[in-house]
Amino acid sequence: MADSLVYLYAVGDAALGESLPPGLTGVDGAPVRVIVEGRLGAVVSTVDPVHFDEETLQGNLEDLTWLAETARAHHALVEAVWRHEPVAPLRLATVYLDDDNIHSLLRQRGAAFTAVLDRIRGRREWGIKAFAHGSEDVDADQSADSNLGPGAAYLLRKRMARERGARAQQDVQEAVADLHRALSAAAAASHLYPPQAPQLSGRREPMVLNAAYLVEESEATTFTNAVQTWHSPHVHHELTGPWVPYSFAMLEES
Amino acid sequence: MSRLPVRLDAEPETVGRDLGRLVLTIVELLRQLMERQAIRRVEAGDLSEETVERLGLGLMRLEEAMDELREYFGLRPEDLNIDLGPLGSLLPPPER
Amino acid sequence: MTLARNDNDLYLIDLLDRLLAGGVVLTGDVTISLAGVDLVQVSLRALISSVATLVDE
Repeated sequence: MADSLVYLYAVGDAALGESLPPGLTGVDGAPVRVIVEGRLGAVVSTVDPVHFDEETLQGNLEDLTWLAETARAHHALVEAVWRHEPVAPLRLATVYLDDDNIHSLLRQRGAAFTAVLDRIRGRREWGIKAFAHGSEDVDADQSADSNLGPGAAYLLRKRMARERGARAQQDVQEAVADLHRALSAAAAASHLYPPQAPQLSGRREPMVLNAAYLVEESEATTFTNAVQTWHSPHVHHELTGPWVPYSFAMLEES
Repeated sequence: MSRLPVRLDAEPETVGRDLGRLVLTIVELLRQLMERQAIRRVEAGDLSEETVERLGLGLMRLEEAMDELREYFGLRPEDLNIDLGPLGSLLPPPER
Repeated sequence: MTLARNDNDLYLIDLLDRLLAGGVVLTGDVTISLAGVDLVQVSLRALISSVATLVDE
Protein backbone atom coordinates (compact mmCIF):
# COMPACT_ATOMS: atom_id res chain seq x y z
CA MET A 1 0.00 0.00 0.00
CA ALA A 2 1.25 3.49 -0.80
CA ASP A 3 2.00 5.87 2.06
CA SER A 4 -0.57 8.33 0.93
CA LEU A 5 -3.04 9.04 -1.82
CA VAL A 6 -4.28 12.27 -3.37
CA TYR A 7 -8.00 12.94 -3.09
CA LEU A 8 -9.35 15.13 -5.90
CA TYR A 9 -12.40 17.26 -5.10
CA ALA A 10 -12.70 19.58 -8.09
CA VAL A 11 -10.90 21.20 -10.99
CA GLY A 12 -11.04 24.90 -11.79
CA ASP A 13 -9.05 27.76 -13.15
CA ALA A 14 -5.33 27.98 -12.31
CA ALA A 15 -6.15 31.23 -10.48
CA LEU A 16 -7.39 29.03 -7.66
CA GLY A 17 -3.77 28.53 -6.72
CA GLU A 18 -3.71 32.14 -5.55
CA SER A 19 -7.32 32.79 -4.65
CA LEU A 20 -8.14 29.78 -2.50
CA PRO A 21 -8.10 30.84 1.15
CA PRO A 22 -5.72 28.96 3.43
CA GLY A 23 -6.94 26.73 6.21
CA LEU A 24 -9.68 24.88 4.31
CA THR A 25 -10.09 21.23 5.23
CA GLY A 26 -11.81 18.40 3.44
CA VAL A 27 -12.47 14.69 4.05
CA ASP A 28 -10.96 13.22 7.18
CA GLY A 29 -10.08 16.77 8.23
CA ALA A 30 -7.25 16.76 5.70
CA PRO A 31 -5.87 20.16 4.63
CA VAL A 32 -6.74 21.31 1.12
CA ARG A 33 -4.32 22.62 -1.47
CA VAL A 34 -4.24 23.40 -5.20
CA ILE A 35 -2.09 21.70 -7.84
CA VAL A 36 -1.63 23.99 -10.84
CA GLU A 37 -0.97 22.65 -14.32
CA GLY A 38 -1.24 24.96 -17.30
CA ARG A 39 -4.51 26.89 -17.07
CA LEU A 40 -6.13 24.53 -14.62
CA GLY A 41 -5.93 24.03 -10.90
CA ALA A 42 -6.87 20.83 -9.07
CA VAL A 43 -8.26 21.12 -5.54
CA VAL A 44 -6.88 18.19 -3.57
CA SER A 45 -6.02 16.74 -0.19
CA THR A 46 -3.40 14.19 0.70
CA VAL A 47 -5.22 11.33 2.43
CA ASP A 48 -4.47 8.14 4.27
CA PRO A 49 -4.79 5.11 1.97
CA VAL A 50 -6.28 3.05 4.78
CA HIS A 51 -9.66 4.58 3.92
CA PHE A 52 -9.34 5.23 0.24
CA ASP A 53 -7.46 2.46 -1.49
CA GLU A 54 -9.45 0.13 -3.73
CA GLU A 55 -9.73 -2.66 -1.20
CA THR A 56 -11.16 -0.68 1.66
CA LEU A 57 -13.07 1.88 -0.37
CA GLN A 58 -15.87 -0.42 -1.52
CA GLY A 59 -16.50 -1.54 2.04
CA ASN A 60 -16.52 2.06 3.20
CA LEU A 61 -19.02 3.03 0.53
CA GLU A 62 -21.42 0.50 2.04
CA ASP A 63 -20.91 1.84 5.55
CA LEU A 64 -23.51 4.52 5.90
CA THR A 65 -21.78 6.34 8.75
CA TRP A 66 -18.49 6.67 6.88
CA LEU A 67 -20.32 7.56 3.72
CA ALA A 68 -22.35 10.29 5.37
CA GLU A 69 -19.37 11.92 7.08
CA THR A 70 -17.18 11.77 4.00
CA ALA A 71 -19.91 13.03 1.67
CA ARG A 72 -20.69 15.96 3.96
CA ALA A 73 -17.03 16.95 4.31
CA HIS A 74 -16.54 16.66 0.56
CA HIS A 75 -19.64 18.74 -0.15
CA ALA A 76 -18.79 21.44 2.39
CA LEU A 77 -15.38 21.86 0.82
CA VAL A 78 -16.70 22.02 -2.74
CA GLU A 79 -19.27 24.62 -1.73
CA ALA A 80 -16.58 26.66 0.05
CA VAL A 81 -14.42 26.63 -3.06
CA TRP A 82 -17.35 27.50 -5.33
CA ARG A 83 -17.84 30.73 -3.37
CA HIS A 84 -14.49 31.88 -4.79
CA GLU A 85 -14.38 30.35 -8.28
CA PRO A 86 -16.59 28.06 -10.32
CA VAL A 87 -15.13 24.55 -10.27
CA ALA A 88 -15.95 21.25 -11.91
CA PRO A 89 -16.68 18.98 -8.95
CA LEU A 90 -15.71 15.33 -9.06
CA ARG A 91 -17.47 12.33 -7.61
CA LEU A 92 -16.87 11.13 -4.11
CA ALA A 93 -13.57 9.34 -3.51
CA THR A 94 -11.78 10.16 -6.75
CA VAL A 95 -8.23 9.37 -5.68
CA TYR A 96 -4.88 9.31 -7.42
CA LEU A 97 -1.55 7.85 -6.48
CA ASP A 98 0.39 11.11 -6.17
CA ASP A 99 0.73 14.70 -7.35
CA ASP A 100 2.42 13.63 -10.59
CA ASN A 101 -0.67 11.68 -11.52
CA ILE A 102 -2.77 14.78 -10.96
CA HIS A 103 -0.47 16.78 -13.23
CA SER A 104 -0.84 14.09 -15.89
CA LEU A 105 -4.60 14.10 -15.48
CA LEU A 106 -4.83 17.85 -15.98
CA ARG A 107 -2.59 17.67 -19.03
CA GLN A 108 -4.38 14.75 -20.67
CA ARG A 109 -7.97 15.73 -19.89
CA GLY A 110 -7.39 19.49 -19.92
CA ALA A 111 -9.74 20.10 -22.83
CA ALA A 112 -12.52 18.06 -21.20
CA PHE A 113 -12.21 19.94 -17.90
CA THR A 114 -12.21 23.27 -19.71
CA ALA A 115 -15.36 22.27 -21.58
CA VAL A 116 -17.10 21.40 -18.31
CA LEU A 117 -16.05 24.69 -16.73
CA ASP A 118 -17.38 26.60 -19.72
CA ARG A 119 -20.67 24.75 -19.37
CA ILE A 120 -21.21 25.43 -15.68
CA ARG A 121 -19.69 28.87 -15.18
CA GLY A 122 -22.35 31.31 -13.99
CA ARG A 123 -24.89 28.56 -13.53
CA ARG A 124 -26.35 26.62 -10.62
CA GLU A 125 -28.10 23.33 -10.32
CA TRP A 126 -31.63 22.89 -8.97
CA GLY A 127 -33.16 19.55 -8.03
CA ILE A 128 -36.77 18.46 -8.49
CA LYS A 129 -38.35 15.43 -6.92
CA ALA A 130 -41.92 14.52 -7.80
CA PHE A 131 -44.18 12.03 -6.06
CA ALA A 132 -47.40 10.40 -7.20
CA HIS A 133 -50.41 11.49 -5.15
CA GLY A 134 -51.93 8.63 -3.17
CA SER A 135 -54.90 7.00 -4.91
CA GLU A 136 -58.29 8.35 -3.90
CA ASP A 137 -60.73 6.18 -1.99
CA VAL A 138 -62.88 5.20 -4.88
CA ASP A 139 -65.10 2.49 -3.57
CA ALA A 140 -67.56 3.63 -6.20
CA ASP A 141 -68.23 0.55 -8.25
CA GLN A 142 -70.56 -1.05 -5.80
CA SER A 143 -72.95 -1.07 -8.72
CA ALA A 144 -73.73 -4.71 -8.28
CA ASP A 145 -74.72 -6.60 -11.35
CA SER A 146 -77.35 -8.67 -9.62
CA ASN A 147 -76.64 -11.51 -12.01
CA LEU A 148 -73.20 -12.00 -10.54
CA GLY A 149 -72.46 -14.15 -7.54
CA PRO A 150 -70.31 -12.65 -4.80
CA GLY A 151 -67.15 -14.35 -6.11
CA ALA A 152 -67.58 -13.07 -9.64
CA ALA A 153 -68.51 -9.64 -8.29
CA TYR A 154 -65.32 -9.62 -6.22
CA LEU A 155 -63.22 -10.34 -9.30
CA LEU A 156 -65.02 -7.64 -11.24
CA ARG A 157 -64.37 -5.09 -8.49
CA LYS A 158 -60.70 -6.04 -8.46
CA ARG A 159 -60.47 -5.78 -12.19
CA MET A 160 -62.02 -2.31 -12.15
CA ALA A 161 -59.61 -1.27 -9.44
CA ARG A 162 -56.64 -2.42 -11.48
CA GLU A 163 -57.88 -0.56 -14.52
CA ARG A 164 -58.31 2.59 -12.44
CA GLY A 165 -54.77 2.07 -11.20
CA ALA A 166 -53.46 1.79 -14.74
CA ARG A 167 -55.26 4.96 -15.77
CA ALA A 168 -53.92 6.76 -12.71
CA GLN A 169 -50.42 5.60 -13.65
CA GLN A 170 -50.86 7.08 -17.07
CA ASP A 171 -52.08 10.39 -15.65
CA VAL A 172 -49.00 10.49 -13.44
CA GLN A 173 -46.65 9.76 -16.34
CA GLU A 174 -48.21 12.50 -18.43
CA ALA A 175 -47.96 14.98 -15.57
CA VAL A 176 -44.31 14.12 -15.02
CA ALA A 177 -43.51 14.54 -18.71
CA ASP A 178 -45.25 17.90 -18.65
CA LEU A 179 -43.35 19.07 -15.57
CA HIS A 180 -40.02 18.01 -17.03
CA ARG A 181 -40.83 19.76 -20.30
CA ALA A 182 -41.79 22.99 -18.54
CA LEU A 183 -38.67 23.06 -16.40
CA SER A 184 -36.31 22.01 -19.19
CA ALA A 185 -37.59 25.01 -21.14
CA ALA A 186 -36.38 27.29 -18.33
CA ALA A 187 -33.00 25.55 -17.98
CA ALA A 188 -29.80 25.20 -20.00
CA ALA A 189 -29.63 21.44 -19.41
CA SER A 190 -31.24 18.67 -17.41
CA HIS A 191 -30.22 15.32 -15.97
CA LEU A 192 -32.50 12.54 -14.83
CA TYR A 193 -31.64 10.32 -11.88
CA PRO A 194 -33.39 7.07 -10.99
CA PRO A 195 -36.24 7.64 -8.55
CA GLN A 196 -35.38 6.99 -4.91
CA ALA A 197 -36.81 4.00 -3.05
CA PRO A 198 -39.34 4.88 -0.32
CA GLN A 199 -36.90 3.87 2.40
CA LEU A 200 -34.48 6.41 0.98
CA SER A 201 -36.86 9.20 0.07
CA GLY A 202 -38.66 9.08 3.39
CA ARG A 203 -42.03 9.16 1.59
CA ARG A 204 -44.66 6.49 1.20
CA GLU A 205 -45.78 7.66 -2.22
CA PRO A 206 -43.60 6.47 -5.08
CA MET A 207 -41.13 8.97 -6.47
CA VAL A 208 -41.80 9.52 -10.16
CA LEU A 209 -39.20 12.13 -11.05
CA ASN A 210 -35.72 12.78 -9.70
CA ALA A 211 -34.14 15.43 -11.89
CA ALA A 212 -31.46 18.09 -11.90
CA TYR A 213 -31.63 21.28 -13.96
CA LEU A 214 -28.74 23.58 -14.88
CA VAL A 215 -29.92 27.18 -14.69
CA GLU A 216 -28.20 30.51 -15.35
CA GLU A 217 -27.83 32.41 -12.10
CA SER A 218 -29.62 35.33 -13.75
CA GLU A 219 -32.55 33.00 -14.62
CA ALA A 220 -32.90 31.52 -11.13
CA THR A 221 -36.08 33.44 -10.31
CA THR A 222 -37.71 32.58 -13.62
CA PHE A 223 -36.94 28.94 -12.97
CA THR A 224 -38.17 28.85 -9.38
CA ASN A 225 -41.32 30.71 -10.47
CA ALA A 226 -41.93 28.04 -13.10
CA VAL A 227 -41.56 25.42 -10.37
CA GLN A 228 -43.94 27.17 -8.00
CA THR A 229 -46.64 27.88 -10.56
CA TRP A 230 -46.79 24.36 -11.96
CA HIS A 231 -49.63 22.30 -10.48
CA SER A 232 -51.15 18.90 -11.07
CA PRO A 233 -53.77 16.86 -9.23
CA HIS A 234 -51.75 13.72 -9.94
CA VAL A 235 -48.29 14.66 -8.76
CA HIS A 236 -46.68 16.86 -6.13
CA HIS A 237 -43.15 18.16 -6.45
CA GLU A 238 -40.37 19.52 -4.28
CA LEU A 239 -37.46 21.78 -5.08
CA THR A 240 -33.92 21.44 -3.70
CA GLY A 241 -30.98 23.71 -4.31
CA PRO A 242 -29.24 25.69 -5.46
CA TRP A 243 -26.49 23.13 -5.76
CA VAL A 244 -22.98 23.30 -7.14
CA PRO A 245 -23.58 21.72 -10.59
CA TYR A 246 -22.55 18.17 -9.65
CA SER A 247 -24.84 16.59 -12.18
CA PHE A 248 -23.39 18.52 -15.11
CA ALA A 249 -19.70 18.16 -14.40
CA MET A 250 -19.28 14.54 -15.38
CA LEU A 251 -16.48 13.72 -17.75
CA GLU A 252 -16.69 10.64 -19.90
CA GLU A 253 -14.78 7.89 -18.15
CA SER A 254 -11.43 7.43 -19.87
CA MET B 1 -22.47 2.89 -6.18
CA SER B 2 -23.50 2.20 -2.64
CA ARG B 3 -25.41 -1.03 -2.29
CA LEU B 4 -27.20 -1.31 0.99
CA PRO B 5 -29.04 -4.42 2.11
CA VAL B 6 -32.43 -3.92 3.65
CA ARG B 7 -31.91 -4.64 7.29
CA LEU B 8 -34.53 -6.13 9.51
CA ASP B 9 -33.37 -5.19 13.00
CA ALA B 10 -35.44 -7.29 15.34
CA GLU B 11 -35.47 -6.93 19.06
CA PRO B 12 -36.49 -9.81 21.34
CA GLU B 13 -39.79 -8.09 22.10
CA THR B 14 -40.74 -7.46 18.48
CA VAL B 15 -39.04 -10.24 16.55
CA GLY B 16 -42.28 -12.16 16.01
CA ARG B 17 -43.93 -9.13 14.50
CA ASP B 18 -40.89 -8.29 12.38
CA LEU B 19 -40.61 -11.77 10.95
CA GLY B 20 -44.37 -11.76 10.54
CA ARG B 21 -44.09 -8.66 8.42
CA LEU B 22 -41.50 -10.29 6.17
CA VAL B 23 -43.54 -13.47 5.76
CA LEU B 24 -46.83 -11.63 5.22
CA THR B 25 -45.21 -9.48 2.57
CA ILE B 26 -44.27 -12.59 0.62
CA VAL B 27 -47.74 -14.07 1.09
CA GLU B 28 -49.30 -10.80 0.00
CA LEU B 29 -47.15 -10.86 -3.13
CA LEU B 30 -48.41 -14.33 -3.95
CA ARG B 31 -51.99 -13.30 -3.25
CA GLN B 32 -51.73 -10.34 -5.61
CA LEU B 33 -50.11 -12.44 -8.30
CA MET B 34 -52.88 -15.03 -7.97
CA GLU B 35 -55.49 -12.32 -8.24
CA ARG B 36 -53.84 -10.82 -11.28
CA GLN B 37 -53.68 -14.21 -12.99
CA ALA B 38 -57.29 -14.96 -12.12
CA ILE B 39 -58.45 -11.67 -13.62
CA ARG B 40 -56.47 -12.42 -16.78
CA ARG B 41 -58.08 -15.86 -17.08
CA VAL B 42 -61.56 -14.44 -16.53
CA GLU B 43 -60.94 -11.78 -19.17
CA ALA B 44 -59.69 -14.43 -21.57
CA GLY B 45 -63.22 -15.83 -21.31
CA ASP B 46 -62.40 -19.53 -21.26
CA LEU B 47 -63.74 -20.27 -17.78
CA SER B 48 -67.22 -21.40 -16.90
CA GLU B 49 -69.41 -19.17 -14.74
CA GLU B 50 -69.19 -21.66 -11.91
CA THR B 51 -65.39 -21.68 -12.06
CA VAL B 52 -65.27 -17.89 -12.09
CA GLU B 53 -67.53 -17.77 -9.03
CA ARG B 54 -65.40 -20.29 -7.15
CA LEU B 55 -62.17 -18.52 -8.08
CA GLY B 56 -63.61 -15.23 -6.89
CA LEU B 57 -64.90 -16.66 -3.63
CA GLY B 58 -61.54 -18.26 -2.91
CA LEU B 59 -59.67 -15.05 -3.55
CA MET B 60 -62.16 -13.05 -1.53
CA ARG B 61 -61.67 -15.40 1.43
CA LEU B 62 -57.91 -15.15 0.96
CA GLU B 63 -58.09 -11.37 1.12
CA GLU B 64 -60.14 -11.59 4.31
CA ALA B 65 -57.65 -14.02 5.83
CA MET B 66 -54.77 -11.71 4.93
CA ASP B 67 -56.54 -8.75 6.54
CA GLU B 68 -56.98 -10.74 9.73
CA LEU B 69 -53.34 -11.85 9.78
CA ARG B 70 -52.23 -8.31 9.15
CA GLU B 71 -54.32 -6.98 11.99
CA TYR B 72 -53.11 -9.74 14.27
CA PHE B 73 -49.55 -8.51 13.76
CA GLY B 74 -50.62 -4.88 14.05
CA LEU B 75 -49.55 -4.03 10.49
CA ARG B 76 -51.03 -1.57 8.02
CA PRO B 77 -51.28 -2.41 4.32
CA GLU B 78 -48.36 -0.12 3.53
CA ASP B 79 -46.16 -1.93 6.05
CA LEU B 80 -46.18 -4.95 3.78
CA ASN B 81 -43.58 -3.89 1.30
CA ILE B 82 -39.91 -4.35 0.65
CA ASP B 83 -37.74 -2.48 -1.77
CA LEU B 84 -35.79 -4.70 -4.13
CA GLY B 85 -33.55 -1.92 -5.42
CA PRO B 86 -33.24 -2.28 -9.17
CA LEU B 87 -36.33 -4.49 -9.27
CA GLY B 88 -38.41 -1.75 -7.70
CA SER B 89 -40.77 -2.21 -4.79
CA LEU B 90 -42.00 -5.71 -4.19
CA LEU B 91 -45.61 -4.66 -4.13
CA PRO B 92 -47.42 -1.73 -5.74
CA PRO B 93 -48.77 0.89 -3.31
CA PRO B 94 -51.89 -0.38 -1.55
CA GLU B 95 -55.21 0.39 -3.20
CA ARG B 96 -57.83 1.44 -0.74
CA MET C 1 -35.18 0.25 7.30
CA THR C 2 -35.08 3.90 6.47
CA LEU C 3 -32.25 6.29 5.90
CA ALA C 4 -34.61 9.20 6.19
CA ARG C 5 -34.81 9.78 9.91
CA ASN C 6 -34.60 13.54 9.85
CA ASP C 7 -34.09 16.48 7.52
CA ASN C 8 -30.34 15.99 7.47
CA ASP C 9 -30.76 12.43 6.26
CA LEU C 10 -33.19 13.47 3.56
CA TYR C 11 -30.70 15.95 2.23
CA LEU C 12 -27.96 13.34 2.44
CA ILE C 13 -29.70 11.04 0.03
CA ASP C 14 -29.91 13.82 -2.57
CA LEU C 15 -26.23 14.54 -2.05
CA LEU C 16 -25.32 10.88 -2.51
CA ASP C 17 -27.31 10.72 -5.76
CA ARG C 18 -24.94 13.38 -7.07
CA LEU C 19 -21.68 12.25 -5.52
CA LEU C 20 -21.87 8.53 -6.27
CA ALA C 21 -21.99 6.90 -9.69
CA GLY C 22 -25.22 4.95 -9.49
CA GLY C 23 -26.35 6.58 -6.27
CA VAL C 24 -27.57 4.47 -3.40
CA VAL C 25 -29.25 1.20 -4.23
CA LEU C 26 -31.00 -1.20 -1.90
CA THR C 27 -29.91 -4.67 -2.84
CA GLY C 28 -33.07 -6.70 -2.37
CA ASP C 29 -31.39 -8.84 0.22
CA VAL C 30 -32.92 -8.72 3.65
CA THR C 31 -30.48 -9.13 6.53
CA ILE C 32 -32.27 -10.26 9.64
CA SER C 33 -30.55 -9.31 12.82
CA LEU C 34 -31.65 -9.89 16.38
CA ALA C 35 -30.37 -7.92 19.38
CA GLY C 36 -27.84 -6.28 17.07
CA VAL C 37 -26.40 -9.56 15.77
CA ASP C 38 -26.73 -10.34 12.03
CA LEU C 39 -28.09 -13.86 11.75
CA VAL C 40 -29.71 -14.62 8.42
CA GLN C 41 -29.69 -13.18 4.94
CA VAL C 42 -32.61 -13.75 2.58
CA SER C 43 -32.27 -13.07 -1.12
CA LEU C 44 -35.64 -11.79 -2.23
CA ARG C 45 -34.54 -11.22 -5.79
CA ALA C 46 -34.03 -14.93 -6.34
CA LEU C 47 -37.46 -15.64 -4.87
CA ILE C 48 -39.21 -12.93 -6.84
CA SER C 49 -37.51 -13.85 -10.09
CA SER C 50 -38.74 -17.39 -9.87
CA VAL C 51 -42.27 -16.30 -9.03
CA ALA C 52 -42.27 -13.72 -11.79
CA THR C 53 -41.18 -16.32 -14.34
CA LEU C 54 -44.15 -18.47 -13.37
CA VAL C 55 -46.54 -15.62 -14.02
CA ASP C 56 -45.18 -14.04 -17.18
CA GLU C 57 -46.33 -16.67 -19.63
